[in-house]
Amino acid sequence: MVIINKKSGQMKIQQMSFMIIAVFLFLAMVGMMVVTIKMSDLKNSATALEEQNAMLLVTKLANSPEFSCGDVYGTAKTDCIDEDKVMTLKANIDRYSNFWGVSSIEILRIYPPKNPLAKDIECTSTNYPKCNLITVMSGSSDFDKSNYVALCRKERYNDEFVNTCEIARLIVGYKKVQ
Amino acid sequence: MIKNKKGALEFSFAWIFAIIAGLFIIFLAIYGVIKFINLENASNNAQTAKDIGVLTNPLESSFEALKRTMMTTPVETRIYTTCSNSTLFGEQEIRTSQKVYNKWSEEGVDVSFQNKYLFSKDPVEGKNFYLFSEQFEVPFKVADLIYLTSTDDKYCFLNSPSDVEDEIKALKGTEDSTNENFFLETNSVDCPDGSIDVCFKRGVRNCPIEVYTTSNYVVKDGKRMYYEGNALMYAAIFSNKEDYECQLDRLMGRAEQLYKIYAEKSRFVFQKTGCDSEMEADLIVMGNMMKNFQGSDSLSQIYSLADDVNKENENAECRLW
Repeated sequence: MVIINKKSGQMKIQQMSFMIIAVFLFLAMVGMMVVTIKMSDLKNSATALEEQNAMLLVTKLANSPEFSCGDVYGTAKTDCIDEDKVMTLKANIDRYSNFWGVSSIEILRIYPPKNPLAKDIECTSTNYPKCNLITVMSGSSDFDKSNYVALCRKERYNDEFVNTCEIARLIVGYKKVQ
Repeated sequence: MIKNKKGALEFSFAWIFAIIAGLFIIFLAIYGVIKFINLENASNNAQTAKDIGVLTNPLESSFEALKRTMMTTPVETRIYTTCSNSTLFGEQEIRTSQKVYNKWSEEGVDVSFQNKYLFSKDPVEGKNFYLFSEQFEVPFKVADLIYLTSTDDKYCFLNSPSDVEDEIKALKGTEDSTNENFFLETNSVDCPDGSIDVCFKRGVRNCPIEVYTTSNYVVKDGKRMYYEGNALMYAAIFSNKEDYECQLDRLMGRAEQLYKIYAEKSRFVFQKTGCDSEMEADLIVMGNMMKNFQGSDSLSQIYSLADDVNKENENAECRLW
């Protein structure tokens, strides 16, 4: 009888231990699920903030001192990029690597249009201005936001210095938060 | 009877084990919930700080000059703004703390921006905040300075000069007076109770912020901050000496890089078109001056040279800015 009672008690303790472990594991799993969902929400919010930053940045970037035309091409203009200045900025972009908090900045000349079959030509000091793409900051990006801007430069025409303004798209790329 | 009493006091091992294990699980659950709430608060604080930074973007477009924007937070918030100038462009750090169940949460993590310059009380506290911006130029635009004030902090501008008065009137516009925090008065007794007086005239007793417009400096907490132009004057009024000097150092760092870019642009345009602005040497000198910036007391010298460079630019065949 005594042996049977002992076995029954051991069984009960075993059952309770298993139950407690099961409850504990269940709570831990629920907790982990909540944390995972929260983390995913947090990553989504962070990506949304990056997107909002890129969207607002693309509207103001053309007016920031590193890009803007100022009074060089007549009166002060908004959303006007000084192409000559951007070419020198491109040469010194390593200093600005984290400055705007985005992964890439490109300026794509869209008017006058290029041959639709031809590839985009990256601007360098040797082919400038016979090119249509200025990669100011290169980096891998998951998404991008763009804005239309005026792209102005100084040119020599019949021994006179003239202002040439064309239409371009300013593209700002950003990364998804991992 | 004795047997019964003994039985009532007896706890089997299973009960003791269940109670101890139960307490352990409850303790772990409570600990987890507290940690989770803290994490949630920290994430909210970080998100608010990042939000503030992102929302200031439109203020930097120069479209919104002399207009202020109201920013409302869901709960009472403390915004801490710190300046760091250890790197090339330095950093504007923003962190927040929010009032949860009548208690201030722990300060969140620092969210940093290299391209922002925020001037405010540290910390600035409230639920509604006003933001406005002004351009900083030496002599070309270097950045937009952003000023952050809480509607709980009432600033009373006493005997302000006409240009400052016009600017503040333009900023106030036709806003709701319940949230008004800028007042223009000629006598301190007309200022609202608990307001921070900004005195433009000498002789006002116990004035916390004194502005000397002829010598171009602001005295706050007994410390002198030199300025040039209204953008820096507001910066000195709303921030403290340490932050003001640090931000000025960052601004000069950015100006130095811009001077280098303009010097290279001058060379680039000359090589490409033959149009010589003849300013390259002066721009390099100015860039070095910015690099060796020591403090706000050297501003007048910098501005006087910047004026000369600006005149050169205006007369140049191919302007650089």
